[in-house]
Amino acid sequence: MTAVSAPIPGIPLLELRGISKQFPGVKALDDVSFAVHPGEVHMLLGENGAGKSSLMKVLCGAYRADAGEFFHRGEKVAITSPADARKLGIAVIFQEFSLVPYLDIAQNIFLGREFRGRIPGSVDRRRMHVEARRILDLIGLELPTQTPLHTLGVAQQQMVEIAKALSQNARILVMDEPTAALSDRETERLFAMIRQLQAEGVAIIYISHRMAEVFALGDRITVLRDGRKVGSLLPREATPDELVRMMVGRSVDMSYAREFRSEFGDTVLEVKGLHSDNGISDIDLTVRAGEIVGLSGLVGAGRSEVARAIFGADAVTAGEVRVYGKLHRGGPDQAVAAGIGLIPENRKSEGLALIRSVADNLNIAALRRRFSSRVFGPRRARAIARALVDKLRIATPTTLRPVQVLSGGNQQKVVIGKWLEAESRLFIFDEPTRGIDVGAKAEIFALIDALVRDGAAVLLISSELSEIVNVCDRAYVMCQGRITGHLARHEISEEGILKLAMHHE
Amino acid sequence: MSADSKVTGLWLAFRSGAVAADLRTIGYRLSAALVLCVVLAFASDAFLHSNNLLNVLRQASLLFLLASGLTLVILTAGLDLSVGANVGLSACIAATVIKSSGSVLLGSAAGVGCGLAIGLANGLMVAVMRLPPFIATYGMLWVAHGITYWYMAGTTVYGFPQSFRALGSGYFLGVPIPVYMMFGFLALGTFFAQRTTYGQEIYAIGANREAARLSGVPVARRLILVYAVSGAMAGLASIVFLARMNSAEGDIGEGLTLPAIAAALIGGTSLFGGVGTVSGTLIGALILTLVLNGMNLLTINASWQPMVTGIIVILAVLLDTFARKRGEARN
Amino acid sequence: MSSQIAVGNRLVVAPWRAVLARTPGVAWILGLLLLVFAATSRDFLSAGNLLNVGQQSVILLMLALPMTLIIMTEGLDISMGAVLTLAGVMLAWVMVRYGSLPLALAASLATGLAFGIVNGSLVALLKMPSFVVTLGTMGAAQGLALIVTDGQSIVGVGATVESFYSGRLAGVPLPLLLGAGSYLTCHLLLYHTRFGNYVFALGGNPEALKLAGVRADLYLIGVYALGGLMAGLAALLLTARMSSGHPTAAIGMEFDAIAAVAVGGTSFERGKGWLFGTLLGVIAVGVLRNGLNLLSVPSSAQVACIGILVILALFIDGWKERR
Repeated sequence: MTAVSAPIPGIPLLELRGISKQFPGVKALDDVSFAVHPGEVHMLLGENGAGKSSLMKVLCGAYRADAGEFFHRGEKVAITSPADARKLGIAVIFQEFSLVPYLDIAQNIFLGREFRGRIPGSVDRRRMHVEARRILDLIGLELPTQTPLHTLGVAQQQMVEIAKALSQNARILVMDEPTAALSDRETERLFAMIRQLQAEGVAIIYISHRMAEVFALGDRITVLRDGRKVGSLLPREATPDELVRMMVGRSVDMSYAREFRSEFGDTVLEVKGLHSDNGISDIDLTVRAGEIVGLSGLVGAGRSEVARAIFGADAVTAGEVRVYGKLHRGGPDQAVAAGIGLIPENRKSEGLALIRSVADNLNIAALRRRFSSRVFGPRRARAIARALVDKLRIATPTTLRPVQVLSGGNQQKVVIGKWLEAESRLFIFDEPTRGIDVGAKAEIFALIDALVRDGAAVLLISSELSEIVNVCDRAYVMCQGRITGHLARHEISEEGILKLAMHHE
Repeated sequence: MSADSKVTGLWLAFRSGAVAADLRTIGYRLSAALVLCVVLAFASDAFLHSNNLLNVLRQASLLFLLASGLTLVILTAGLDLSVGANVGLSACIAATVIKSSGSVLLGSAAGVGCGLAIGLANGLMVAVMRLPPFIATYGMLWVAHGITYWYMAGTTVYGFPQSFRALGSGYFLGVPIPVYMMFGFLALGTFFAQRTTYGQEIYAIGANREAARLSGVPVARRLILVYAVSGAMAGLASIVFLARMNSAEGDIGEGLTLPAIAAALIGGTSLFGGVGTVSGTLIGALILTLVLNGMNLLTINASWQPMVTGIIVILAVLLDTFARKRGEARN
Repeated sequence: MSSQIAVGNRLVVAPWRAVLARTPGVAWILGLLLLVFAATSRDFLSAGNLLNVGQQSVILLMLALPMTLIIMTEGLDISMGAVLTLAGVMLAWVMVRYGSLPLALAASLATGLAFGIVNGSLVALLKMPSFVVTLGTMGAAQGLALIVTDGQSIVGVGATVESFYSGRLAGVPLPLLLGAGSYLTCHLLLYHTRFGNYVFALGGNPEALKLAGVRADLYLIGVYALGGLMAGLAALLLTARMSSGHPTAAIGMEFDAIAAVAVGGTSFERGKGWLFGTLLGVIAVGVLRNGLNLLSVPSSAQVACIGILVILALFIDGWKERR
């Protein structure tokens, strides 16, 4: 891949040269160089985990870069703390807002920087409202500045967040997928505002997953992959297909290739018209015995929500879930009884009781099956756990260790082991390789393969496209809470998935 | 596994394992109790007197009955502030039923039933209505307290049959009867917590409620269960209190909640849930009783007792908070 | 029936159900209580009785105001009744011993402030759960009150102190003036100062405070300190009312305060607080107690009624949030 560079005349407002950031086991940013000019909208593109959010955190001073230099209007500067970033006029608008629900708009804009009144400790409210009004007018938000924040919609809250950034004289605005929760009309208003800011000379770094936005707004596009910059180009030089290719790259990791079969067993899971109150609708899918079915899509597409709805962890508002043809209703306890096992995305907060032992964690889901008399035998439980530790090759000297001291890969094996012990027949894996090193990843996939060879059914959620491509017998692709595509084995490709995940608009 | 690696394994477990942590906790606390005994023996001649020792045991056992049920609640990362008020109402109801029906059995059943009902109401508020446990049980405290005073209307019910009073003040083989109950419920409570699937699920809920739910543990039902058990144990404790005091007034349960919480916390049960044992609570009850007894023997005004208990609670939570922070740091 | 209500900067015509939903629950409760007691007791609506309700509610108000702030930060202070009791005892003790009102008041305020700072420090700096911390300090304050008084009432505080409860200024009873002053002060603190802004943020989004570079923990200590200070001030009225320092005078009064706050629509989540709602809540609790008194319901049963009122208010609160 050639890195196309599009030179823009003039001194950049902010330039990064050779930025690197290392985390244990991962190189989050590797020699990234990047510049924004006044009045420019610079689009930042990349798959999940390509390094966009790390770059953003480096920019706002939340992370310290291990190597590299920053230049502000051509002068070398250092960004080592949020205060440094603020002084340079960099403001970041995260997806989770830093707003207070029961304060009004003006109070939120000036939180921590209130204008002082005459009496010590008091606040000059009039001046705050006047100033807030001025900024709101600037961005075209017509609400009174006395409006309490909790009465605003997401789009308006975002505008307030932007106003807050501008009130700090931000000249460089970093936005992380700002349209993720907006309607079409709200998106248009946001774009109009961005163009206005642009006209005033504000530089905008805009992170997006949506192709349409990239071409509608961007003056320049930079693509990141695996922590490296793949290239910077101008919108007129690029096509969506080309960008997708740049994001995906050609490297195919073969470390977890498996043998595919064409014969599958009975339908284990059948989902029809599933809606839940956290934003998924009309989900239809099936998984057969012996089959690994992928559920792909970008972050926020609603994949985990589908998993939770099937498992009964979130309330289902419409539709049905059948396991072996039998209607499944009710909470997770019913799901476990029906033979479903969920390996959740957040292993530490949802998958494990960290302070409890390996044996305790391995036994928890099977308690009622193994100890039907309700009398618990610690010795028997430990024997069961030891067998699982041997079978899954969990690296722990004893089953009495608390799982919190295990490595990520071994913790994940404990979660899987819990469901093996519960004799689950349908395994839902939600990002099973997150935070796990390469060697353990291959082991996890070997385990998943062994499960389906044994006749179990697997629904695999993954953000890493190569995993879906290399492992799945079929795949569904989601976008904005709906299934937008269904790919057979021979149709699965990274480009195909990304198109379905991004082009739906 | 060879015998040698088994030993190593056990040692490693002892260094880091959850089970071993329990053993260690109990070890430390037991030694603290012994040290306290030695100190008191030197400080006061009356301490080693058998009457005094039996008295300490009797008081500790009353406290333990109350604190053991509470321990289960705290294991789920909850709290029951209503146990003291529960004792008050249950004792008064038991007393009046015994007086009016003449049946000790019926009265005791009424007392335990009243405790159970209060516990069930707590459980429903926490598990079904999803109120924060401390607020729900704090509201219940005042509801029960108010009903007690209203029900008793300033009267005192006293003078119960000897057979009933033996429950609180009687001896069997020279040992107070409540002490037998203490060891009985120690065995029962330990069995329930360590050797039943319910106990395992309760620990799991306290360690990580969401993970427990996603592992198929019926969280709401187990929460109702622990609050109900805590209520029923308060009801039972009220019977023993009543038998010991031989009279019931509106204020009978007053000032019992704090010592009960203190006993559980001193015993190593963590307010953050998932850590603790019923046997630890027994030692906690013993330590607290020894402290208060020592203050008595040294003729320190009884008014100091709530203050000392309050400070002990804060210190115990402080230790607990630090221990948890250390655990997180290691993580 | 329909009505106009403001949504943002627009006026929209809303069906009567929306109007119902927007009218604070505490207004309904208060109206209902007034109606019921006016109908069942002839004395209730007399000017003398209503003034009495106001006068008796002032102490409660002085606890409920800071309690509102504490609850807004997702905390709870159940030591407040005991601290008030202890401060009252200290005030009476110093008064009887030295006969100096400024000295006595200083002792009482210092006592409250000390407990408030200890509570706040344990909660904010050591991140201990507020309800256990204050449960512990409640025991400590209760014990100290017993120790100072030796279990007896301290009598003979003198007419100066008593006049704070019975006296009038320009025809208005002094307690009412003190209550109004406390309310105004807290209102200004909460709505017109940086401190107030940060109280909203402490409950609503403490992360936002950190990002803004505010020392959030210091402000949290301030919230609990305010609670202690107000309890110390309320002790003056308490001692004046009882003409003595009694070691169990206000035990459990924090519960009435929590009740008033909860009924007044302040929520234990997201920093949702409403000071005027607390005022209405205090009046509602005062009216309930007074009305039940007139109907000669014993004070103990009143507590049970208030307990049920709180649980109900919390339940409705949570139910509304979840919808």
